[in-house]
Amino acid sequence: MATSFSQSVKRFLLLLLLAGLFAVVARSHGQTNEARAILTRAAQSEDTDAQIEFVKQLIGAGDELVSRALSAWRVGELYIHTAPDGAKFPFLLDAQQDGAGKAKGISVIDGQFLKGADGSPLALLANELTALDNSSKLRKAIKTTLDLYAIGNPVPKMRRDAVIKLGQEQNAEYLPYFEARLKIESNPEVIKTLNEAIALTQAVNEDTAIRNAAIARLGEMRSVNAIAFLKDMEKSAKASPAKYGPETAKALHTAVLAIENYQRWGNLVGTAFRGLSTASVLLVAALGLAITFGLMGVINMAHGEVMAVGSYTAFMVQGVFGGGLLFSLFGKTVSIKGMGLTGSGFDSYFIFALIASFLTAALVGLALERGIIRFLYKRPLESLLATWGVSLVLQQVFRHTFGSANVQVNSPSWLSGSFVVNDVLFGYNRIFVIGFALFIVFATYLLLTRTSLGLQIRAVMQNRAMASCMGVRTDRVNMMTFAFGSGLAGMAGACMSQIANVGPSLGQSYIVDCFMIVVLGGVGNLVGTVTASLGVGVTNQILEPWLGAVLGKILVLAAIILFLQWRPNGIFVTKSRSLDG
Amino acid sequence: MKKSSFQKCLTFAAVALAASAMAADTVKVGVLHSLSGTMAISETSLKDVLLFTFDEINKGGGVKVGAKNYMIEPVVVDPASNWPLFAEKAEQLLVKDKVSVVFGCWTSVSRKSVLPVFEKNNGLLFYPVQYEGEELSQNIFYTAEAVNQQAIPAVDYMLAEGKKKFYLLGSDYVYPRTTNKILKQYLKLKGVPDENIIEIYTPFGHTDYQTIVAEIKKFAAGGNACVISTLNGDTNIPYFKEYANAGLTSENCPVVSFSISEDEFRGLPAKELVGQLGCWTYFMSLKTPENSKFVGDFMTWIKDPKVTGTDFKVSGVDPKGRVTCSPMNLSRLGVHLWKQAVEKAGSFEVDKVRPALIGQKFKGPAGEVTMQANHHLVNNVFIGETLASGQFKIIKTFNGVAAEPFSEKFLK
Repeated sequence: MATSFSQSVKRFLLLLLLAGLFAVVARSHGQTNEARAILTRAAQSEDTDAQIEFVKQLIGAGDELVSRALSAWRVGELYIHTAPDGAKFPFLLDAQQDGAGKAKGISVIDGQFLKGADGSPLALLANELTALDNSSKLRKAIKTTLDLYAIGNPVPKMRRDAVIKLGQEQNAEYLPYFEARLKIESNPEVIKTLNEAIALTQAVNEDTAIRNAAIARLGEMRSVNAIAFLKDMEKSAKASPAKYGPETAKALHTAVLAIENYQRWGNLVGTAFRGLSTASVLLVAALGLAITFGLMGVINMAHGEVMAVGSYTAFMVQGVFGGGLLFSLFGKTVSIKGMGLTGSGFDSYFIFALIASFLTAALVGLALERGIIRFLYKRPLESLLATWGVSLVLQQVFRHTFGSANVQVNSPSWLSGSFVVNDVLFGYNRIFVIGFALFIVFATYLLLTRTSLGLQIRAVMQNRAMASCMGVRTDRVNMMTFAFGSGLAGMAGACMSQIANVGPSLGQSYIVDCFMIVVLGGVGNLVGTVTASLGVGVTNQILEPWLGAVLGKILVLAAIILFLQWRPNGIFVTKSRSLDG
Repeated sequence: MKKSSFQKCLTFAAVALAASAMAADTVKVGVLHSLSGTMAISETSLKDVLLFTFDEINKGGGVKVGAKNYMIEPVVVDPASNWPLFAEKAEQLLVKDKVSVVFGCWTSVSRKSVLPVFEKNNGLLFYPVQYEGEELSQNIFYTAEAVNQQAIPAVDYMLAEGKKKFYLLGSDYVYPRTTNKILKQYLKLKGVPDENIIEIYTPFGHTDYQTIVAEIKKFAAGGNACVISTLNGDTNIPYFKEYANAGLTSENCPVVSFSISEDEFRGLPAKELVGQLGCWTYFMSLKTPENSKFVGDFMTWIKDPKVTGTDFKVSGVDPKGRVTCSPMNLSRLGVHLWKQAVEKAGSFEVDKVRPALIGQKFKGPAGEVTMQANHHLVNNVFIGETLASGQFKIIKTFNGVAAEPFSEKFLK
């Protein structure tokens, strides 16, 4: 039942897709044929002026082969082929050459290879062919056409980028084309960039009125793309006041101020967002440790490696959803066949990866607790050494299983890219990390305050002996708590696979930061962990643009050391007899 | 009793003699590359290609000195990405193993730490990885790209493309810092004003590139901007991920990276790097008969790696998804140049081989190279655009660029 339903959905989607494809092909086919015909006529023509006219007609045609042919013509690499029936048409040479320097010819009319009498592709030598002539006037026309070519690109994003680029050239010749495109353009973003490009081009106009109006418009648009140019112009206006006149200088000043003010706000919001995202990364990584070290008092040096277990789990889930997996287990190569999913089916792997990484890491934590840590609760220094040993063993296991090189965990499409609000960038992966941090903090809070396990955890943490007397099975609570903390670390590892590298030494790069956050926040206090990561993350992002990444990090570390001199127990001090003891 | 012990002595002497006679037909050669630690990912490939080249030469009859043919016998040591250990292992190769020549080192800091050892013992080292220059030792031959064979052509290309603003981004150590210092001076000579050059460094293993990418985005907003990246190792992954997420592409702000070759590409998400540029003296995609032979032979060799003519056991060669890259090509060229020089000098002695090396030519996969009197090569330089396949499409060639290690000579 389910399969037949999904099959029919698939079939329907396929039909839709095909229909769309046909529509696109049909439309572009008509256009490109026309463009290619115009180019062929231009090549056949003997008169330069007529050729220039033809070339100008090609502006905005959007056909890749035509643009390639035009570029070739400009450098004298477009050739004329005379067919057996006497018809002449242009062709270019394929970039791939054989040993003798010969290449196949590509006809501009249909994009096919030129064929000899026997039907096989001709191999041609460049210097034996007749190249089409070009003059400097024609070359200039070709350049303009090529530059303007991308305005007709069917993809709005490409159109937008092309318009931005052309606007920055401030070439008055482009103005009519911008205006023509503006009339037929429907994409709001491209319309915005077109207006910007027009204003930018007019800002160097000879006519003072047009110039000033354009500058004022740029200021109103808060055009970030124009700020560099406007500033330069303001500088030269100050150096030689006679050049532009006082009116323009005033307009420039207003516009620059307006844009700079706007940028300042953008910077503020951007820094706040980036700080929040760095803080979330730290929080996600440290929360598991806040439980195992903070609440339980186990100095768990293998925390980073438990994170890596989560990352590698994400890698394996990705393999299962995608093209399969190959790794070696105790010297034997294990191959798992993937489901070969693509598109949104594959993209959903990450949700499963998060769950799976929680489970596997929790299992590893459970084994660790049962096997080693439970014997060492009273001996923190020995647990430090033992878990450090475990971390080394785990690293070596990763190396043997997955190789010493990093593995690639691909970002699902919904985690790549960003959206832009008022020129401030919000990356999807960063938003996800912030949301994820909120989610796990909230979930942990609920677990600790609203469930009986949480109650028991808190009881055991505050006074183990008393809790034990009250009938709490402290042994079991320890086990569950450690497994939960490890599971959180595993989820953190899966999450990190989206923003950092997954390799055997992944854990090493987080362990110091994690301990730092937990100690700074105050051992045994989750609110402290949240506050500390926020503080460190935001400070880091505020300092980085001023001091650079290296010095910024050093300064943050120094500040933390000083802070701990002042408050050795961290931001929030937990009063607890078991911790004091 | 006495007699038998005397007999034993005789036999022992005979065996020793025979052994030394056999040993006379081999020449010991050191391989000094990290096979463990952080640099192992890059350096293991160089060890592989060196062993391949020894095998290639031994198959062709070895090194001919006088009337004798000597088989190359590798001595492979592992300095484990540990700079002081590099010096110790170098000492061991030169003093204990008495090798005739050493091929090795990747990072500049490892080269700097073995340099005094080679000068003290009058050894010979071939160094194959692009570096910052400002160094010239009697005892080192640099087949590596000097700054004017990689950074300068790349910047020239960017200037010719109409780029006016340069964002110099690098990992925080000697190679990026020196290269960027030279590039800044060079750009100033080319009329790029100070405010259009930004120089930023991040620590090794840095993963948070949000701020830097936001800054690049702002920097590129005015158009005609590009990034010159000397970021090393796996920091490139978070950097390029963030870069792509911010909507930056090779169209609106190209990145030219000096530390990403085909080999590093294997660990990077190719999708995010497509269209970005690389600049090297060799690309695997070069279409020359020498290159197709080199690539073909190497790919066959890694399936059954051995060094012909010796008892040397080759281990740790991973045959999966292998590629060739510029440092590998330059490692191999070094071995061939040394062999030719030894044959010309008719001796393995360093003082005789050194003068013979100058002017030595070899037709390699990327065209002919010549060893200059300044211990650096004349080589062809290529600029390539990365493809999703992990290969580079060559878009520009500079022929016969003579390496100049000292920036004051070309900063005029």
